[in-house]
Amino acid sequence: MELFHEIYGVYYKSVSEMLSLAVKGELTEKDMKSICDSCAFTDSHIEIISALKSQRWKLIRSDMTTPLKHEPTVPLTALELSWLKAISLDKRMKLFDIDIALPDDIEPLFLPEDYVVFEQYKDGDPFEDEHYITIFRTLLKAVREHKKVTVEYNSNKGTHRRITGDPYELEYSEKDDKFRVKIADCRFADVLNLAGIEKCDIIGSARPSAQKGQFSSEEYFIAELTDERNALERFMLHFSHFRKEASEISDNHYRIKIFYDKSDETELVIRVLSFGQFIKITEPQSFVELIRGRLIMQKKLGIR
Amino acid sequence: MAYSELIKSFGRIRGYMKEFYIYGFKKRNEYTRRSSRSYDNERRRIESYFGDHMGYLRSKDGKNVFISVDTRSTHKNPIYKALKAKSFTDGDITLHFILFDILYSPEISLPISEITRIIDEDYMQSFKKPLTFDESTIRKKLREYAAMGLILCEKIGKQTYYRRPEDIPLSDEIRYVAEFFSEVSGCGAVGSYLLDRFPDETPVFSFKHHYINGALDSEILCELFCAIRQKCSVRIGFEPRHGKSEETADVLPLKIYSGAQNGRQYLFAYHLRWRRICSYRLEYINSVTVGKPSDIFDEQLERFSEMQKHMWGVSLGRSAQTEHVEFTVHIGENEEYIYKRLLREKRCGEVERIDEQTCKFSADIYDTAEIMPWIRTFICRIESLTFSNRTVENRLRQDIEEMYRLYDIGDE
Repeated sequence: MELFHEIYGVYYKSVSEMLSLAVKGELTEKDMKSICDSCAFTDSHIEIISALKSQRWKLIRSDMTTPLKHEPTVPLTALELSWLKAISLDKRMKLFDIDIALPDDIEPLFLPEDYVVFEQYKDGDPFEDEHYITIFRTLLKAVREHKKVTVEYNSNKGTHRRITGDPYELEYSEKDDKFRVKIADCRFADVLNLAGIEKCDIIGSARPSAQKGQFSSEEYFIAELTDERNALERFMLHFSHFRKEASEISDNHYRIKIFYDKSDETELVIRVLSFGQFIKITEPQSFVELIRGRLIMQKKLGIR
Repeated sequence: MAYSELIKSFGRIRGYMKEFYIYGFKKRNEYTRRSSRSYDNERRRIESYFGDHMGYLRSKDGKNVFISVDTRSTHKNPIYKALKAKSFTDGDITLHFILFDILYSPEISLPISEITRIIDEDYMQSFKKPLTFDESTIRKKLREYAAMGLILCEKIGKQTYYRRPEDIPLSDEIRYVAEFFSEVSGCGAVGSYLLDRFPDETPVFSFKHHYINGALDSEILCELFCAIRQKCSVRIGFEPRHGKSEETADVLPLKIYSGAQNGRQYLFAYHLRWRRICSYRLEYINSVTVGKPSDIFDEQLERFSEMQKHMWGVSLGRSAQTEHVEFTVHIGENEEYIYKRLLREKRCGEVERIDEQTCKFSADIYDTAEIMPWIRTFICRIESLTFSNRTVENRLRQDIEEMYRLYDIGDE
């Protein structure tokens, strides 16, 4: 099954959208450019528009009409169907209110046991629990339809609170295997763990200008790395999901700046420690002190 | 040859994207595998695919180009865009839209001669310089699409008739399924292709601790999945460690492992010549050629399942013997979360509560060195270490001493 094929490409998608308008006699040159800008790459419009206008691709006439009679549609490929079949067997699929009617003869691209996610924490959310599924679906509906909700929430710290707000995104962490919901217009929280929600009801429409929480990567630390025991590759991969800048200081020594959200700082201290002596944090001093603090405690404790 | 954004083979830019994304500190003259012109073209393409995610740093030694993505605020994996850059001919794209326009419903079933006539009379004649498609070109395209499941071929009498299959209704719910699983599932690129069938909408899902580099290996992963499902052996072409030239191996793929804390993907496979189970990083595999079904698949899979119980990460050790690892941590007042951390984060082994202030972790694993990074995360609480592999234990102790020196920790 070919995964890298032109029918999935942005050029075909752009042309398909243009033809949809051309079939209705509504295509303009301005549309062609804006479709390319939204569907394709930065410079794609040059090639696509030129190929269509010069009639190298015989799909649009000089008067911007097309000989096509229907808006373009393409059936799902065998690859798409077998991928859908594969994910239909994922335990997280139960979260979605859907039963995809796939032909019986479609084989899954893979089974859940063929694809093992390791390094994942063991206390993931109960994706197959009926109560959890109900909460998830209510929140998904609220996010999709811009609704306000009220929730009864049990925090990790053991407190219980009734919270009202506008959920706007469901955030999933593969490492934690947990969902959290980002919530706007709420005095008490920017984000809630789904597993901590006891009850969730939609109570009306969300405020269009609701104040969203800040998840910005404004903080940073600078690490100096010595590339021993493959530390460079391990570090760069491990922190690859952050915005970063890297430069080589000298042979085998690198300087890497990682930008992060303040709320993740404790987790980052732990992650930096996991690299041992191959990483030295040089800036900011506040982050250096967090590392030093732990090392001082360790030295006092001693290791038998 | 004139520059084009599109490429014939994804392998061509895969290496550059990895360098730009994972490392991002190399200068132009440090890319020595291909010519400078090739580097310039690939860099330009990647800039075109990644747009604002590309960055530059200037120093006295030159300019380095990098891809920087904060995946917590990026809802869609930007690497998928590069997988949507396959090149094609003028005839390919013209035929594509015309064929599906002619065969616009599953009820329409036509032989090649009729399709050829319609293309010529109903479509090409309205252009001043029509393209001429002969039957063999059209047949070749229809067969290609039949192999992809886009077209059904039916023999009626002596003639083959072509039609499109029944459509699967794409409900809104499938959009959200595709949006979520395209980012968290194997071969998520396919989910991204599905998502492209829907009009653009504000995403509802975002992702934390999200590694996107696996997308670079999508083609390889797809081939390996097909082999696993058919229990087939494969010949893989891969780059061995330490930059030697490409090697090949005949293996029986068993499972894929994907790391939630670094995004690395591994193939576990039975090596047919060495007669043992080995692991290969997917990013180092350049080619997969699927061979024949093997009758030892189930036996080797069962063998691997036994081995999984003693794997901390992906290492199977050198001798297939397990090593004992034990360490204790101190739990202070109001630090019950440390005990919970041990339970939550352990991948095998046992956690034992010794007393109110002490917990013990113990496990028998193939490679003690693999667990060292995790143990280091408990620095400030480690009370004791007892490894059967004393070399690794001593190395960890020395590492911690070295950290004290690095941060000038005296006898505070």
